[in-house]
Amino acid sequence: MDAFLLGASELLSPTTLLWMLLGSMAGIIAAAIPGFTVTMAIVLTLPLTFAMEPLQGIAVMLAVYVGGYTGGLISAALLGIPGTPSSVATTFDAFPMARGGQPGRALSIGVWASFFGTVISTAVLIVAAPPLAIFAVRLGPWEYFSLIVFALTIVASLVGNALQRGLIAAMIGLAISTVGTDPILGRPRFDFGLDVLAAGLPFLVVLIGIFAISQLASEVEDADAIKRGERLATGEIEFHTWAVMREVLMRPVNLIRSSLVGVAVGALPGAGGSIANLVAYDQAKRASKTPERFGTGIADGVVASEAGNSATAGGGLIPLIALGIPGSAVDAILMASLMVHGISVGPRLIMDNADLVYGMFLAMAISSLMMLVVCIFSMRMFLRIAEVPKWVVVPIVLVCCVVGSFALNNRVTDLYLLGFVGLAGYALKALDYPLAPLVLGVILGPIAETNLRRALMTDSDWTLFLTRPTSLVFLIAAALSITWAVRAHLRARKAAATRKESPQ
Amino acid sequence: MSDRPDHPNGEGPGEVARLLSYVVLLAISAGLFVEAANIPTSRFEKLGAGAFPMLVHGILMALLVSAIVGSLRALPSGAWGRFAASITAWARARRLVFAVFICLALYLAAMPVIGYPIATLVFLAVLQITFAPKTRTAIAIALVLAVVFSFGLNWLFAEIFNVFLPRGR
Repeated sequence: MDAFLLGASELLSPTTLLWMLLGSMAGIIAAAIPGFTVTMAIVLTLPLTFAMEPLQGIAVMLAVYVGGYTGGLISAALLGIPGTPSSVATTFDAFPMARGGQPGRALSIGVWASFFGTVISTAVLIVAAPPLAIFAVRLGPWEYFSLIVFALTIVASLVGNALQRGLIAAMIGLAISTVGTDPILGRPRFDFGLDVLAAGLPFLVVLIGIFAISQLASEVEDADAIKRGERLATGEIEFHTWAVMREVLMRPVNLIRSSLVGVAVGALPGAGGSIANLVAYDQAKRASKTPERFGTGIADGVVASEAGNSATAGGGLIPLIALGIPGSAVDAILMASLMVHGISVGPRLIMDNADLVYGMFLAMAISSLMMLVVCIFSMRMFLRIAEVPKWVVVPIVLVCCVVGSFALNNRVTDLYLLGFVGLAGYALKALDYPLAPLVLGVILGPIAETNLRRALMTDSDWTLFLTRPTSLVFLIAAALSITWAVRAHLRARKAAATRKESPQ
Repeated sequence: MSDRPDHPNGEGPGEVARLLSYVVLLAISAGLFVEAANIPTSRFEKLGAGAFPMLVHGILMALLVSAIVGSLRALPSGAWGRFAASITAWARARRLVFAVFICLALYLAAMPVIGYPIATLVFLAVLQITFAPKTRTAIAIALVLAVVFSFGLNWLFAEIFNVFLPRGR
């Protein structure tokens, strides 16, 4: 109790709260700009926290972290471009909703879902940190590979009517992830002597190119509308704060399930928000009585994705606090920040620095509240983005994408890659290939390859994938997932064929 | 080439374009499969650096072959005949998209030579003025925004974030 009060007193000081408020705003703004990620925002914050007390510094970074997970929603809903990888699934429903004349409602649902997702994940973090972390760390390469196989089967339900092209896109994503040095022995692959390919294709550059550049190019397809000064979204720019809060709370099962998916995925090292939003969306779609309405701009889709990605913030802290294992790049930076202050992160963290750990729990809760307040008061301003004509937004966001891609590694070759991937993304989009499975393939490829090879290096017996219980459970889940998707696909095709025949 | 209602010739030409994309992807995938097979294996592990890419390209090729067969069966008669006219109309309707990609390519190629601020100023000015309604206000706004997002953003990154955007040779 003393440790909790000590942490709380340090955290609730006006200076810390002010810094956290600034951090929350910075996180929201940074993530709202396509090409700038939560990771980049945290990296830029890190040097500013060196001069602060450890808890103050980590609280500011957590505020950026929580704000960043919500900021990605803004460009996802208004521009159809995920501001961060963690808001890919948000574009599926928030963007059609905004385009359908309800940009305010789309943002408001996302903000509330993010808030509740963070609160639920903080509660789980406090209660379940040690047992969950121990489970995550017991997974061997066999279980990880099987988990990734299961995650890849999600593709089947993300592809709408184009199951075959969706699977092809996922395999293209996996193929993209194999370019560059191999993850186990560092042997160069598929670089053809070109500098631009030698370091591999950075995931964020691929993401920006595939989603942002192709979406921006699509925005200017109608030349006449551009010349007339058409806006990105038209319709009601009202936030409806409390009505939407009730609307989100009326979906308790979706909200809690998506948050728990976010926590669980966040707790697995190497996964994180970029996968959680897609898994949560997939689960919500499967559980829905009207899965065909997903992707048309329904509230359930936005709630699932935003609650899922925001909940990974709490989930990622579970292995970090309990075992000193960062769950994602952002958690690794948080860990580095603690180490800069001379605090060793590991199982003894809770015992040696209880005030700091309780302070972190409290900082998560305060950060989510701050994010909510900042969003409610400033969202009207963000919504003005929707009123800016396309001829202004498209070129400027293109420049932001270019700057974001360059600032990631300070490499000019990444810019050439961005242009090429953007063109390829537009071509695939024009040919009706679903793009989300491709991105999922790029994310999961290196994890799948590393664990497959590591498993067989440890023991060359292939049957271990089937005889280790947890691995088998993941593989059975993958088989069930594919069966379900194929059945739903065949049923949809049959229904379409019946509709076609009926008029005759 | 999506089969959208605004498309002049309905389903056929779109399916032809997709069929061509399957063939191109199959050729690339087959080439990379052969390349992966030539990567030497290591005595330290059962699978070499080429095993996973071979697995991926093997599955991708199987999917593409099945897509090609399905596409050939679904292709309506006369689709090839309409394809050339249809693709010309499609490209003409999307002339601004091509303008965006050409400007982007020139911008990215010029940036390492003339530096971020000047390349961005020219890129933004040209693209915004091309798209904007031809009024004095719109052109003035376009020019101001071009300066802010070229020299302004360059200053912000250099002074605040210590990230130096390309300065040119």
